[in-house]
Amino acid sequence: MAAPAKLKSLVDRMPDPDKRGTYANIDKEEVEKAVADIHKGGRDALLALIDMLVEPGQGNDIKPHYALHVLAVHVCRLKDGAPRAEFARTVASQLAGRPKGVQRFLIRQLQVAGGVEVAPALGKALLDPHLCEPAARALVAIREGAADGLRGALPKVKGACRLAIIQALGALADTKAVGTFRKAVDDGDPRIRLAAAWGLARVADADSAGTLLKAADSHKGWERIRYTEACFLLAENLMAAGNRAAATGIYTHLRDTRTKPSEGHVRNAAAGALAAAK
Amino acid sequence: MRTWRTVARRGSSLGKRRISRRRFLAGTAATAAAAIVPRRVLGGPGNAPPSETFAVGLVGCGGQGGEDVRNYIGGAGGHYKIIACCDVDKNRLAQAVKKFGPGAEGYTDFRRLIERSDLDVVSVATPPHWHAVITIAAMQAGKDVLCEKPMTKFIAEGRAVVKAGERYGRVFQIGTSGRFGAHKSSRSRLIHKIMRSGLLRDCPGVWIKRGGFHIKRYCGQVNQVPQPVPAHLDWDTYCGPARLAPYHPHRFGWSHRYYWDYEGQGLADFAQHYLDPIQWVYGKDDTSPVEVEAYAPPAHPEAAGMWGWVELKYADGLTFVLDGGEWGKPYDRKEARHVELEDLDEESRKKVEAMPEPEPPRTFVEAVRTRKRSAGHAEAAHRAATVLHLANIAIRCGRKIRYDPVAEQVIGDEFANRLVNQPMRAPWHL
Repeated sequence: MAAPAKLKSLVDRMPDPDKRGTYANIDKEEVEKAVADIHKGGRDALLALIDMLVEPGQGNDIKPHYALHVLAVHVCRLKDGAPRAEFARTVASQLAGRPKGVQRFLIRQLQVAGGVEVAPALGKALLDPHLCEPAARALVAIREGAADGLRGALPKVKGACRLAIIQALGALADTKAVGTFRKAVDDGDPRIRLAAAWGLARVADADSAGTLLKAADSHKGWERIRYTEACFLLAENLMAAGNRAAATGIYTHLRDTRTKPSEGHVRNAAAGALAAAK
Repeated sequence: MRTWRTVARRGSSLGKRRISRRRFLAGTAATAAAAIVPRRVLGGPGNAPPSETFAVGLVGCGGQGGEDVRNYIGGAGGHYKIIACCDVDKNRLAQAVKKFGPGAEGYTDFRRLIERSDLDVVSVATPPHWHAVITIAAMQAGKDVLCEKPMTKFIAEGRAVVKAGERYGRVFQIGTSGRFGAHKSSRSRLIHKIMRSGLLRDCPGVWIKRGGFHIKRYCGQVNQVPQPVPAHLDWDTYCGPARLAPYHPHRFGWSHRYYWDYEGQGLADFAQHYLDPIQWVYGKDDTSPVEVEAYAPPAHPEAAGMWGWVELKYADGLTFVLDGGEWGKPYDRKEARHVELEDLDEESRKKVEAMPEPEPPRTFVEAVRTRKRSAGHAEAAHRAATVLHLANIAIRCGRKIRYDPVAEQVIGDEFANRLVNQPMRAPWHL
């Protein structure tokens, strides 16, 4: 769809890069006025603006690229939340059928300005190997309504997407994902195992204490370091949740088993936490 | 008077200056081991230091690689040996291995370096988007940490570093040292005492930093065309916790500073230097501003750009102003003003005058030896980094923000808050 002439004239008011390729001479008022006018053009103007975006390296979309981001920030500044939600819904409606680079840019704008209204669209993007990683991060930023989409997508993906989703569920401390975390902590991919352990610690799953301690005890190197941290995090969260017995059990185990000089800091940390727990 | 940096430059790569070394050893007990033995291996409770030499692992072998080690160990009279170095650029790594000599092992994956049990200190000199992840991992592995400034890429990372340091009892030193000089000024010490006394109810102080941010020079490019990744570079690992952006050489190396994915322009690159001493002088090492307002044009989504000034107010009325001086009208809302004894009533003045002098800043070497906080400790560094991050958040959001320095959250602005704690790309997380 060709951009309407009025929109094109507004986008043209965005600055040109200087000789170094930078925006060193921006006219604040000019840009803000033009973007406010684009916003007044409503959904049609936004769709036309999105149509001006191209895959990185496949043409010049410097001005619409900048204008769309400034518009995303602009709608977040408005006291009325309705225009922001409308902006986000429109952007989300354009995720399909565009070059992947454009789709990823749109997802990043949803991370800036999206809310619960775009969670379903981002949930669909999780199924695309080219989009799942930015979509997962956008959902973590949005939080509200994010976990359902992440959990729903998980059985349908693998590899890097699975890792991104499990980590996102951990970041959200999603208690409904406990079963997922417990299963994934035995995964063949160490990155997934560690992300799952982190998730179990974040949701303060008392039943996982033994699993995490066993994992920490049985590994060496990087995984031992990270599982041990997951044990501490779990104990800290259990303590905060009032489960002192489970927390002190973890601390006691770490204090009594980390006897090598190279793990003195773990022993000391556990002993200190035990003393504080009294 | 020799500056901290001058001292550092005079130290050799192994920090073998005899006078400083004697000073370093003064007051210590037995100093037996001459070989490079990890301090913790021979150390007793609290990791007392029987070994003389810090075994250092360096992550990030670019322009600043090794600088902090020279400054904060060698410059403080400590001995060190870099026995491991890591970089995602194989060419740069090969140069570093050659530079640090026999015994220095090279790694392209920092996790393999962190795993080594024979390291005392990890020096983090990567771009800032990696600082927190590597610092925390090093602390989890029992290492003390030297970290380049800015400490972090976003605010939540700083709190996570502080927590890791507390949990594992690790010493942290940020790569800036202005507070050593500030402490030598009697006027600065007096202001510090006035502020820490709690007797000044409405603080009239206004500190204005004009210029010195190299804003125009640090603008990112908005017209980049993706290019093939060079064979010697692990681009995916370079991006790490940041998004996997298309490769462009300007995003790598020194100019990474110009992109939001990795840093935050001249403001992020320089402000920690300026804020570190002034934050100590004004007694703000344990809190943050509550109101932040920026004067800047709308920010680009990827490339950091121009800004005019940022005004940051603390709860007690103290105002910090960062005035770039390269775009728009200069800051003219307030005049710079010091806090003085005359701002207090007579009774309060007497109380301040009777206060003991503030404790001198502790070098990293001394901090490691005594297991006490270094001058550039994690909480202070985090609070200074918070100021510059809040400034950049206000610039990027184009609106005034209110901040809760206890909860460490932007108040009433969910969207601005998304820049306080930014989701990381898996498998990296805080």
